[in-house]
Amino acid sequence: MKKVLSLLSLLALMPASSMLLADPAGDSAALIDQAEAARKQADALGYEWRDTASLIKDAKAALEKGQVEESNALASGALLQGRQAVAQAQFMEKNWEMMIPKN
Amino acid sequence: MMKSNVLRRFLPAALMASAVLVSKPALAVNYQKLVDADTKTFQAYFLKEFPEVKLSDYANGVYALDEDSRKQWQEMEEFPPYELDVEAGKTLFNKPFANGKSLASCFPNGGAVRGKYPYFDEKRSEVVTLEMAINECRVANGEKPYAWKKGDLAKVSAYIAFISRGQKVDVKVNSKAAYDAYMNGKKFFYAKRGMLNMSCSGCHMEYAGRQLRADIISPALGHTTHFPVFRSKWGEIGTLDRRYAGCNENIGAKPFPAQSEEYRDLEFFQTIMSNGLQYNGPASRK
Repeated sequence: MKKVLSLLSLLALMPASSMLLADPAGDSAALIDQAEAARKQADALGYEWRDTASLIKDAKAALEKGQVEESNALASGALLQGRQAVAQAQFMEKNWEMMIPKN
Repeated sequence: MMKSNVLRRFLPAALMASAVLVSKPALAVNYQKLVDADTKTFQAYFLKEFPEVKLSDYANGVYALDEDSRKQWQEMEEFPPYELDVEAGKTLFNKPFANGKSLASCFPNGGAVRGKYPYFDEKRSEVVTLEMAINECRVANGEKPYAWKKGDLAKVSAYIAFISRGQKVDVKVNSKAAYDAYMNGKKFFYAKRGMLNMSCSGCHMEYAGRQLRADIISPALGHTTHFPVFRSKWGEIGTLDRRYAGCNENIGAKPFPAQSEEYRDLEFFQTIMSNGLQYNGPASRK
């Protein structure tokens, strides 16, 4: 019961907390920066994914047009791609020899 | 007591001396032997997977595996779509630069040098490909380099490949630096990348010969013997790096620039895996 109440109170606070954010556009810009940092890290490892840069480009364009939600969605996708590409690179660096097929 | 003191004093020195006497000087690593063992294993994979296909036939790519595709291809080869490119390549190869020299000045044996490339240049400590050598010749003679993936570079490469047909693939690895480049290429070949989390080997070893939509996936063995290729999909002739970039795009990975270290090392590895086959480029492909 306690857990349910605490979850409900958390959900109730969520709109309030987003209203408290002083600058939603600023948060979107920060999200884009995070995505760009992840993309650069993946690129440095040689594992950048094909669409990450274009997602970031589109997120920036949407933000310039004031389409904050659209921008956030695109930047979140780019951030996820960047992080997954880095994880892929780190895994492959250690385990690529396990990928050699045998018959 | 006396005895144990003597032992304590002299035992370490005695052990050290015996170690020096027993140990031999470090043997030089035979990198070629390591690579040859890999090539043998790699080729054995395909020979076991497709026991009816002869090793030499892998130079024909996917047409080694599928009889119907092979018949269509053989008919196409009667009037090969790359014929005009070979002719254009010959003209470009002999066309004088502004300084009076030409590409022919850079390449011995009348340009029949396909079998020499790729190789590991020990002084430069990097893999040199045929396309790289062509453009370096132009730049050294004050000309602009050709674009890397198609057009004149692919045409000159096609001409050189054509007059080199029958040369044996025999790439050597004679140093630690060359072996490092080979291992970079090997890692690239087997590591999964991109949004689809796929590798070169995933498609061209594990799924070789299987259907991918309307196409049959080509075997990795022999991949580099027949480039550049005239692809029906491209409607023109293109280089191996163009194909590498296309493959990377297909699996959702950002392609590397043409003739990047990554792609040159990959070509080095793949060509070594085809050691013993014959160069038979240029070729036509779907």
